[in-house]
Amino acid sequence: MSSLRDRLREVIKSADVRLKPDATAPAATPTAVASGFSRTFDNPEALLGGEWRDGSFIVERHAPPSSRCGRTTIGELAARLQTSVHEAPLICGGAPAHMPFVFFDLETTGLSGGAGTQAFLVGSGRFDDDGGFTTRQHLLVRHGDEDAMLHAVADDLRRAGALVSFNGKSFDAPVLESRYLFHRLDWVASEQPHIDVLHPARRFWKEDECSLVVLEQQVLGTWREEDVPGFEIPSRYFQFVRSGDARPLAAVLEHNRRDLIALAGLTSRLLEIIAGGPDWVENAREALALGHVYARARDTGRAIDAFERVLTLGAKKAGRRAAELRADALRSLALSYRRDRQYDKAARCWIALIEAGCTEHVEREAIEALAIHHEHRARDLVSAKAFAAENVARTSACLAPAKATGEAQRRLARIERKISEADRLGGLLG
Amino acid sequence: MQGPVPVESGALTTRSGRDIALNAVLERLAPGRVPERPDTPDLHVTALRRIPAVSARYAPFPSALDARLTRALGSRGISDLYSHQAEGIEHSLALRNVVVITPTASGKTLCYNAPVLSTILQDPSSRALYLFPTKALAQDQLAELQVMCETIARDSGDQVGVFTYDGDTPQDARRAIRARAHIVLSNPDMVHSGILPHHPRWAKLFENLKYVVIDELHAYRGVFGSHLCNVLRRLRRICRHYGSSPAFICSSATIANPRELAERLTEQRFEVVEKSGAPRGEKFFVFVNPPVINHQLGIRRSYLGETRRIASEFLKRNLQLIVFAQSRLSTEILTTYLKDDFEDVPGAPERIRGYRGGYLPLRRREIEKGLREGVVRAVVSTNALELGVDIGALDVSVMAGYPGTIAATWQRAGRAGRRAGRSAAVMVASSAPIDQFVVRNPSYFFEASPERALIDPDNLHILVDHVKCAAFELPFAGDETFGRVDVQEVLGLLAEQGLVHRSGEESRPDARWSWTNESYPADAVSLRSVSSDNFVVVDTTGEPHVIGETDFTSGPATLHPKAIYMVEGKLYQVDRLDFDGRKAFVRAVDCDYYTDAITYTRVTSLDTFEQDPVSGAAHGEAHVVSRVVGFKKIKFYTNENVGSGELDLPEQQMHTTSYVLTIPESVLASLPYAADDRRDGIVGLSFAMRQVAQLLLMCDRHDVGISIDSEGDSENPAEPAVTRARIFVYDNYPGGIGFSAPLYRMHRELIETTHRLIAECDCENGCPGCVGPVGDTGLLAKAVALRMLGLLLELGTEAKTA
Repeated sequence: MSSLRDRLREVIKSADVRLKPDATAPAATPTAVASGFSRTFDNPEALLGGEWRDGSFIVERHAPPSSRCGRTTIGELAARLQTSVHEAPLICGGAPAHMPFVFFDLETTGLSGGAGTQAFLVGSGRFDDDGGFTTRQHLLVRHGDEDAMLHAVADDLRRAGALVSFNGKSFDAPVLESRYLFHRLDWVASEQPHIDVLHPARRFWKEDECSLVVLEQQVLGTWREEDVPGFEIPSRYFQFVRSGDARPLAAVLEHNRRDLIALAGLTSRLLEIIAGGPDWVENAREALALGHVYARARDTGRAIDAFERVLTLGAKKAGRRAAELRADALRSLALSYRRDRQYDKAARCWIALIEAGCTEHVEREAIEALAIHHEHRARDLVSAKAFAAENVARTSACLAPAKATGEAQRRLARIERKISEADRLGGLLG
Repeated sequence: MQGPVPVESGALTTRSGRDIALNAVLERLAPGRVPERPDTPDLHVTALRRIPAVSARYAPFPSALDARLTRALGSRGISDLYSHQAEGIEHSLALRNVVVITPTASGKTLCYNAPVLSTILQDPSSRALYLFPTKALAQDQLAELQVMCETIARDSGDQVGVFTYDGDTPQDARRAIRARAHIVLSNPDMVHSGILPHHPRWAKLFENLKYVVIDELHAYRGVFGSHLCNVLRRLRRICRHYGSSPAFICSSATIANPRELAERLTEQRFEVVEKSGAPRGEKFFVFVNPPVINHQLGIRRSYLGETRRIASEFLKRNLQLIVFAQSRLSTEILTTYLKDDFEDVPGAPERIRGYRGGYLPLRRREIEKGLREGVVRAVVSTNALELGVDIGALDVSVMAGYPGTIAATWQRAGRAGRRAGRSAAVMVASSAPIDQFVVRNPSYFFEASPERALIDPDNLHILVDHVKCAAFELPFAGDETFGRVDVQEVLGLLAEQGLVHRSGEESRPDARWSWTNESYPADAVSLRSVSSDNFVVVDTTGEPHVIGETDFTSGPATLHPKAIYMVEGKLYQVDRLDFDGRKAFVRAVDCDYYTDAITYTRVTSLDTFEQDPVSGAAHGEAHVVSRVVGFKKIKFYTNENVGSGELDLPEQQMHTTSYVLTIPESVLASLPYAADDRRDGIVGLSFAMRQVAQLLLMCDRHDVGISIDSEGDSENPAEPAVTRARIFVYDNYPGGIGFSAPLYRMHRELIETTHRLIAECDCENGCPGCVGPVGDTGLLAKAVALRMLGLLLELGTEAKTA
C-alpha cells in the first residue's frame, strides 16, 4: 500500500496544473541559500533602509523640492497643488477634500481579493511644508506583524484631508478594508474624501491602457528605467517570505515609490487644469473632459466656456475621433445652455449637432429637444409640429421603449390640437 | 382503445372527479379487486399496493417560540404544528443539531423557519445561513420566507431581512445584503467560492451565526456530499475564528442513515426526528413489468413504449402527471413519443414538456410555473425534478425504469400526491437486471429499508483542494487538524509546491501555514464534479446561439460528431465537436433515429488496500482509461440498430478506487466448459453483478463502472484458455468516492444476490434481465455464470467450516 505521502504527492502533482505556476517556488531556492540569508531576514532595515516603529517596519524617503519630475520639479508640483486644492471637491464627488492629501498605493499578493490576498506593502506619500515629497512605506516582514502594520497605516491615513489613489476605489481600498475587517479593526478611510485619479485621467488623457507608467510619460514626461513589471511583484514577495532574502524587494519598494510620485504629479496637473480653466488645456480632449468636470459640479458657466473651447480647438481637425469630440461637446453645450436658460443658444447647438452628424440616438434626442423648444420656448408651432412628427417616426422606427413612443405621440397630438385651436382663434379674430 | 380526449387545463378540478379518473386507469391496468391484492411476479402488473391515507397528528407550539411568530403563524391560519415539526423545533430552540426526515408536502420548511425566526425576533443580531442544493430551491424558499416576514412586520413591526446570495446576485446589491440579511439563502457552491474566501466582509454573519440549515440533506452523497463536508469543515473553522458555534438544522427525504449522513457531513452529534405527523392522501403504487415477447431470447416489450402507453392513459383522462426517465436521452425520447400521441389534439403537444439539466434556466422556470398553474399537463423529466422544486401537487408519477434506489423511488413517487385525495405512482421496469429483480420481488422494495447515503470526505483529491481553500481563508496553525488525514503532512507537500509557507517551528501550535500564491484556489474547484469543465451546445441552424450544456465527463459520449442531440424532442445533429474549446456545433435535423455511444474502458490495478485470499475479493486503487470509440444509430419506436460509426476522440483517464473480484484458477479450471464459453460466463456474471452492486450501494448508474480483465494461457496464444479473470467494480470518480470498501465488505451478499438474480430469472439461456442478451453473451453464458457463482459461494462456506 502506497504511503499517504506518495498518494498525496500524486494528487497534488495532478492538481497543480490548474494553479498558476510560481516561478519562485522553493525548488529554485535551495534551502542552504535560504538559511544563509536569515540575517537579512532579521535585519532588513540595512538592505531596504527602513526601521521598526511599534512592531511595524517602515521605509521613509524624502524627495527635496528641487528633485526633478519629468518636465518639472517636485517643488513645482507641490506649489501648483497648493494653489488649486480648492477645486478638489470637483473630482471627489463633492466631498470636502482638503490638505493634506495622502497619496496611497498597495502592492498585494494577488489581484483576486478575498481573505488570502494580502497588502504586503502599503505605500503612502505627502507633500511636505517645504515643498518636498515624503513617502512612507509599510512592509509586512512577518505574517504575524500585520496587525501592527495596519495600526501604523491607520495612523498615516487618519490624518489625511483626502486620500488619493489610482484605481483605489475599486481595488486598493477594498483590499485594505478587507485586511482591517480580517483583524477586526476599524477601517479608517470609510468616511474620508477619496479622489480616484483613474477615472478623470481616462477622460483627460487616455482611454485604454491607462496605466500610471503610460500616463506619467505622456503627461509629466518622466521615464522609468529598470522598473519591475507588475506581474512579477507577488512572486518577489513570496520569494522573500520563503528565503528571508530581502533583496528582490528593493526594486518593488522603488516601483511603489515611483507610483506614488507619479500619482502626486498627475493629481497636481489635473487640479491645475481645473483651477486654471479652458485656457490651460493643451487639446480638445482635455477641454471636453474639463467641461464635463464642471458640468457634473453644476458649474454651468465654466462648463460652457470649456465646451466652447473644444469647438475652437478642434474645429479644423479631421478624423472620426475629432468628430466624436465635437458631437460630444455640442450635445453637452446644448444641455448646459438649457440649464443656464439660454434656450436659443441651446437650440442652435442641437441644430448644429444634427447638421454635423452624430449617432442615431443623439440625433433623436436633439429632435425631441427641438420639438420641446419650439413648442414651449419659441412658440413656433409649425416648426414644433415638424420636429414632433419626425420624433414620432424615429421612436417607432427604432423600437424605443413604449414610454418614449407614447410621449412622442402625445406631444404631436397636443401640438396639432394647439395649431387647430390657434387656427380657430385666428379665424375668429381675423 | 378509445380515441384521445382533449387535454385541457383545469378541467378536473374536483377531488372526486380526479379520484374517479384515477380509478378508471388503475382498473384498466390491473382489473379486479384493488385493496389487498397479492403480488403476482409473473404477470404484467406484478404489484398493486395501496398505501392508506394517514391522518394528521398535531402538537401545540413549543412554549419557547416567540409570541410574535406564533401570532404571525396564527394569522396565516396555522394554529397547531404537526408533531414532527414541534419535536424538531424544540431541539433547534435548545441549540441541539437535528435532522428531520420529511416526506414531500409535510411542512418541513417550518421545522427550520420557526426556530430561526423566533431566535432572530428575540435577538435581532442573530444570523442564519440556509443551504439548498440548487439556486431554484433557494428562490422557492425566499418567496415563502418573505411572505412570512411581511406578516411579522405588519403584526409587530419587527423587520427580518431575508436575501438570496448566489451567482445571480448583482454585484452592487451584495454589500447591502451583507449588511442587512438576517437570513442568507445560498448554496454550497456559493459558500465555497463567494462567501468563505471573503469571510472578513461577512464578519457580522459569522460572529452571530446561530443556525446553519441544510435542506435536502439526502442530495449530498457521493462527490457532492464529500465536497460539502469539506466546505462545512471550512465553515466551522471560520466560525471558530469569529467565536460562534452554529447549530445545524437538516431536512432529509427518507434514507436508511440520516443520522449517520448528517453526522458525517457536519462532524457533529445529531438528534433525529423520524415520525411525520403530516396527513397524507391515499396512494396506489403499481409495479409494471412489460410482457415477454420472445421467450427464447427473453426479450420484453420496450419499457419506454410501455411507459408511453400508461402515461397516455392517465393524460387522456386529464390527470396531471410527471414521467421520470433514467437519462437525458430517454427523457427526450419519451417527450417525443407523448407529443406524437397527442399530435391531433390542438394545443395538446404544447402542454407536454420535457425537463432536464442542460436546459437554460429561463425555460426551466417557465415549465415549473406551467406545472403549478396546471397549464402544463405532463412533464417528462430526469431526476432534475426529484428534489423539492415547487411544481405543485400532481396526480400521477410514472417512472420509466427503476430509479436505482429505494429512496429515489419514494422521492419520485412523492411528486404525485396531495394531502387529501388519491394519487398513483407507477414504476415500469426495464429489462435491466436491477429492474427485473425489483419488479419481481416487490417486497424487496416495499418492506426493505431504503439505502444508505455514502460519502468519502477524505478522498485525497477533494480534501487537498479544500485544504488549499482553507489556507487561503485563514492560516493553518501548526497543530491544527482538518478531516481524518494528517493535514500537517498535506500542508508540508503544498509548501513544496510553493502554495503555502510555514513560519515558526514544525508542529508547534504557534507555527502558521499561510497562503503564498497569487491564485484564488476556490475558483479551481467545482463541488459538483471533480472537474468544473463543461461543453456548451451551439445551434448553427440560423443565427448561432447556445441551446444547452453538458458536463465534461459525458461530453464525448453525447456530443461526439454525428451524434443526435435532443432538446424537448427537437433533434439536432452534431456537426463538429471542438474538444479544446469545449463547444459542440449542432444543426436542426429531421431523422427517425437517435445515437448511443460505445465506450471502451480498461482498468489496471495499482494497489491493494485489503484482500481476502479465500473468496478472491479485494479493494484498492485502480487506473481507468476510457474512450468513446464509436456509436450506434437506433431507430425510434422499434429500437432497431440501423447503422453505426467509428470515432476517434481523446482518452479520458483517472485514478480511482475499485472493488476487485479475482476468480481463482481453481474455479476456472473446474468448469467443464470450453474457453470461449467460460469467457461468456464471466461477461454474463459481471453484467448481472454490476447491477446488483448498484442495488446494494444505493448509487446512480453512473457512479460505478465495470470492467473485466482476463489473462490467457500465454504458452498457447493461438487458443488462449482463461486462467485467471478479474472483475472490477470501480468508483466512477477520480480518487474514488467510497463505494469500494463497503462493497468489499458486502462481497458475500453481492455474490448471493447475483446468484439469486440469475437463478430466479425464467429465461432459457440468458436475457437482458440477468446475464445480458443472448446475442451479446452466447448461449451458455447463463449456465456458466451460475456454475461459477455456485463455486464462489462454496469457497466461502468451506472457509467457514474449515
